[in-house]
Amino acid sequence: MSWQAVARKEFRDAIRSRWLHGSTLFFALFLGGASALFFGVLLGPESRQVSNLFGFFASLGVFSFSFPGLLALVLGFIALSTSYGSITEERETGSVKLLLSLPNSRLDVMIGKLLGRSAVVVAALLVGFLATFVILVATGSRLELGSFVPQVALTALLGVAFVSIGLSISALADSNREATLATMGLYLIFAILWGSISEGIPKLVNYVAEQIGISGVSELTRVQLGVFLKYLNPLKTYETLAAQLYYGPARARLVSTTFGERSVIAPVFEGSVPFYFSGWFLFVILLAWIVIPAVVGYWAFERADL
Amino acid sequence: MAAIELDGVTKRFDDVTAVSDLSLTVEDGEVFGFLGPNGAGKSTTINLLLDFVRPTTGTVTVLGHDAREESVAVRERTGVLPEGFDVYDRLTGRAHVEFAIDSKEVDVDPDDVLDRVGLADAADRQAGGYSKGMRQRLALAMALVGDPDLLVLDEPSSGLDPAGAKEMREIVLEEAERGTTVFFSSHILEQVEAVCDRVGILREGELVAVDSIAGLREASDADATLSVAVGDPVDDDVLESVRALDGVQRVERSTEGGLRVGCDSDAKTRVVTALEDNGVTVTDFTTDEASLEDLFLAYTEGERDEPTDADASVAADDGEVDADTTASRDSTATSDPAADSGETADSDTAAAGAEDADADSTADESDGDETDAPDAGDEAIEEEVQR
Repeated sequence: MSWQAVARKEFRDAIRSRWLHGSTLFFALFLGGASALFFGVLLGPESRQVSNLFGFFASLGVFSFSFPGLLALVLGFIALSTSYGSITEERETGSVKLLLSLPNSRLDVMIGKLLGRSAVVVAALLVGFLATFVILVATGSRLELGSFVPQVALTALLGVAFVSIGLSISALADSNREATLATMGLYLIFAILWGSISEGIPKLVNYVAEQIGISGVSELTRVQLGVFLKYLNPLKTYETLAAQLYYGPARARLVSTTFGERSVIAPVFEGSVPFYFSGWFLFVILLAWIVIPAVVGYWAFERADL
Repeated sequence: MAAIELDGVTKRFDDVTAVSDLSLTVEDGEVFGFLGPNGAGKSTTINLLLDFVRPTTGTVTVLGHDAREESVAVRERTGVLPEGFDVYDRLTGRAHVEFAIDSKEVDVDPDDVLDRVGLADAADRQAGGYSKGMRQRLALAMALVGDPDLLVLDEPSSGLDPAGAKEMREIVLEEAERGTTVFFSSHILEQVEAVCDRVGILREGELVAVDSIAGLREASDADATLSVAVGDPVDDDVLESVRALDGVQRVERSTEGGLRVGCDSDAKTRVVTALEDNGVTVTDFTTDEASLEDLFLAYTEGERDEPTDADASVAADDGEVDADTTASRDSTATSDPAADSGETADSDTAAAGAEDADADSTADESDGDETDAPDAGDEAIEEEVQR
């Protein structure tokens, strides 16, 4: 299986890049620094527990903030940056000819690059979490490992998802420039525009339904659709899954909702969380963000002339 | 079994046909040189062998496998030195070879391979700091990993100094002796001659010739050519009598006002004697053995002699400089001064009515002629003495 050869090559190449050194340092400072600030300075000894930082979710209705959300934003950016050039750059320099003159299939290349680059991102991330862990132990904070360890794993998966997204952009783009622009545009959508779009779509559906004479869509359905669309954003999928580790599914599904949405949907969740809002369903969505972009990227790369 | 078989292969890119209805068979164990000017489609053909690009129509079979469907099987037994490639800047030379070893799933000592291409000392340096020649060697090292059955080398000596090119040639020959089929493209003809069993010449995406070098020489009309410089223009009767000689294939007037005679080597003396018997003063003559260069140009540029022939006949008929054709005649006047000295005098008179500038320049040239003429005469004498 020569994807292993490609993965090893990718990892050995990337591990020497300044970008990786920078990202590793960044994660160490960001995660370690935030931990030091919270557990060493801000929080009193009795409230020193992991959930007070890694389970920090504040929703102000129109604007919500969470530490996992912030981590997701940063990680998404770093993971995309690590992978969006992985094919276009090889094409532009010509090293892809070395890569593919060896008996590596294009599938090997895609899998190898996905795993190799993911390993790089996850390694940088783990250095950051290691720094956090050291600080947690040093400050005598409650580790809550049952939540914290799965959260580390979830975070790693989110990193892999964004590596996969970047890789597929790289496979689809004709040039490095095109890949850069597409990556920036996509990041903008994930980070900023997705919420407005997912709130707008139910309204549009309702409007269309009214225009063609069907009675309007019920408010509950509209809100459920809007919130569901929000959680299709991998950044939000991750955020709500992380919240579930600390607060259970019913509360966790509210982290990205507005006050208006919450008043409609919270009673539903208190009864029972519909399967399409369940943790497992959202986990599958997160996995789909790893698999689908990679498959689309492979489909494009397989057909391309170099 | 054929190592490479292309059958009716056409490759069109958006707006250009890179390869057109190409059929070619390279036998097992053969060293095949693939020649052609830049842009003829050599690299595209090689890319088709490796599934870097896919044929628009036609089939490509390499080592018995379909190049498209079974490309990995092809590349498992093929070593490739691609054209226009680059190395991974951050990886060391050894890491590159290790990558090739991993990919080919063979058990080889990377240092042995690096040693073979003369990179042992640079094995631990990052390849980003390698020179062009070192990168070329590194790619060759990767190609040689696992003793491939087929070596595909695209412009292998580009970027190599003469010593490096020689080493490259020796490695190719070593591999060929081991029984490896070698397919390589080049526009450096001496290299092709030194190592190839057969060559194929590609021109504008079409294969115009496939043969051994000797075979190409025989088939091409770019054989030995005798260039004769004469004192006075040769009239048509004399031309006919030369043409009638044994061993003479063709006679034409050259741009210099002399003659170009295509003939067998042993007919050279007869040609010169015949001219002198007809009262023509032979001031100089030289023989061009058909060089590979001529061979190559004859195939890739086709009817390249025609325009010059037309020029020559204009010159011979008019016997003087026409003001309109001063530019082309200038080169005529300077390139063979001795033979033209009489004619140049004529042209001075002819050009007298023309612009002053033209007349001046022609006069300058005839000055030059006077100083050159004796030299040419001496050479002619030497030639005669040799005979």
